[in-house]
Amino acid sequence: MFHDLAPQLFNGLVLGAFYAIVAIGLSLIMNLTGTINMAHGSFMTLAGYLAYSLVLRGTSFWFALIAAPLIAVIVGIAVERTLVRPLYRREPFYSLLMTFGLSLMAEEIFRLIWGPNGVPFSAPAALSGAASLGFMTFPTFRIFIVVVLVITISALAFFLTRTRFGLRLRAAVQDTEMIAALGTNTQVLYAVNFGLGIFLAGIAGVLAAGMLGLSPTSGNALLMPAFVTVIIGGMGSLFGSIVGGLLIGIAISMTTLFIPAASEVSMYVLMAIVLSVRPRGLFGEEGIFG
Amino acid sequence: MSEPLLSVEGLYTNYGKIQILRDVSLTVGAGEVVALLGLNGAGKTTTMRSIIGLTPPRAGRVRYGGRDITRWPAYKVARLGVGYVPEGRRMFRDLTTLENLQLAENGRGGAWTIARVLEQLPKLGELRGRKSGRLSGGEQEMLSIGRALVSNPTLLLVDEPSQGLAPLIVEDVYRILRELKATGVAILLVEQNALLALHIADRAYVMDSGRIVHGGPAAELAADRNRIRTLMGLDAAVG
Ligand SMILES: Nc1ncnc2c1ncn2[C@@H]1O[C@H](COP(=O)(O)OP(=O)(O)O)[C@@H](O)[C@H]1O
Ligand SMILES: [Mg+2]
Repeated sequence: MFHDLAPQLFNGLVLGAFYAIVAIGLSLIMNLTGTINMAHGSFMTLAGYLAYSLVLRGTSFWFALIAAPLIAVIVGIAVERTLVRPLYRREPFYSLLMTFGLSLMAEEIFRLIWGPNGVPFSAPAALSGAASLGFMTFPTFRIFIVVVLVITISALAFFLTRTRFGLRLRAAVQDTEMIAALGTNTQVLYAVNFGLGIFLAGIAGVLAAGMLGLSPTSGNALLMPAFVTVIIGGMGSLFGSIVGGLLIGIAISMTTLFIPAASEVSMYVLMAIVLSVRPRGLFGEEGIFG
Repeated sequence: MSEPLLSVEGLYTNYGKIQILRDVSLTVGAGEVVALLGLNGAGKTTTMRSIIGLTPPRAGRVRYGGRDITRWPAYKVARLGVGYVPEGRRMFRDLTTLENLQLAENGRGGAWTIARVLEQLPKLGELRGRKSGRLSGGEQEMLSIGRALVSNPTLLLVDEPSQGLAPLIVEDVYRILRELKATGVAILLVEQNALLALHIADRAYVMDSGRIVHGGPAAELAADRNRIRTLMGLDAAVG
């Protein structure tokens, strides 16, 4: 059992990185507009299927890895402008219900187009082997996943903290009226921000499809852990989402190893412990990236 | 006769079902400083919010620089050169002093740059890397004004700049407003301390219960303390 520890820990970190990136997308959208995007998992699934179809039509995996999330972003911004935007004036409950309905519709649409069962989507040959890290070997694709997710999250952090647009986004999270009174069109911020969240979901969706499989409900399976991640990490803190995601990934992988029956509940136990000590979550006090 | 820089005609504004403004009309000429006085709850802040589009009016017209800007979104009004220094400063608390200033850069061009604001308000220069939420009230007021300046406004709406500040700091704030006036920036100034505002203003309006109840030269009103007292209560005439 103990010789499984290192690979299982690594698996936990990979899983945790997925939770983190999905949670960051959820948080971006929630922080700016108060929208709890229940359709977030559907966008992951959509990107996964799009990548699958692209590769099936002969494009390279690398092209699909970028193109599929971008197409999902276009769909996402269209959804935001037409369906979510009218609900910004109302309580968050409305957009929660609307996006939940959307996710149910998306599931049926995926079924119609790609069939009710899972479809095979595997990593390209270059990534399908195993890499030796000296003391242990790991599947190359999982190492690749970690690298891509780390690059994506770093790029986002750079965008938010070092660019003019990112500065406006961080300001708008604190006070949308004032940022408008300083000459920024907040509707553009809302749309781009939603698109950013969907892009993160899309990248995760394509990678998850290659690791965890692809079916009409596969994205939704990551949604609940991502919400728990946001709560553990602390609302409003993107850094908290990273820590929270990794903690949950490790908790799940360790319980899978030692108490398999408890693996499903472990993240909720973790959430209960964190919340009893810190009701705001681990980093839920400062602004995003505070 | 040319049209004033800002003219508000017959404004009616609600919060939900509650009517706040009733038939508010006022003008601000180019380079003119106009005080908008009145008791707490009279509707001064709501008037400013209606002008810049944060609380769009139900009826009436707002004209600025020869254009009808009624119910324009706030960002468009801002881009026409209307700066807003809100009640309570409204810092982006988690952002630094410098970042707060950067947010106001809009490419309109003009005399004010971040460098010049930091030069004129050296205190802000020292605090450029500090989160604005950690600044004192006076420093925040300076930053709020500095932020509006970076956008090179033609008209500045300033809401209760002396609120909660020590007298010495209030002097600082008014010194800057006077300098702005000298450079030709028009200012609509809301202030609880009537005499303070009347000192710098060319004209003044007084609001009560959502209506304009008085309008005239500032000096005239400043000289008539009894009038101030009847219009705004005892406190306003002290100072
Ligand atoms: N967001 C709001 N919702 C409902 N009523 C408000 C709101 N803001 C202000 N009011 C009410 O509108 C009236 C005018 O407020 P305001 O314009 O802030 O007055 P002033 O700035 O002159 O103190 C007050 O009676 C106040 O209670
Ligand atoms: Mg007020």
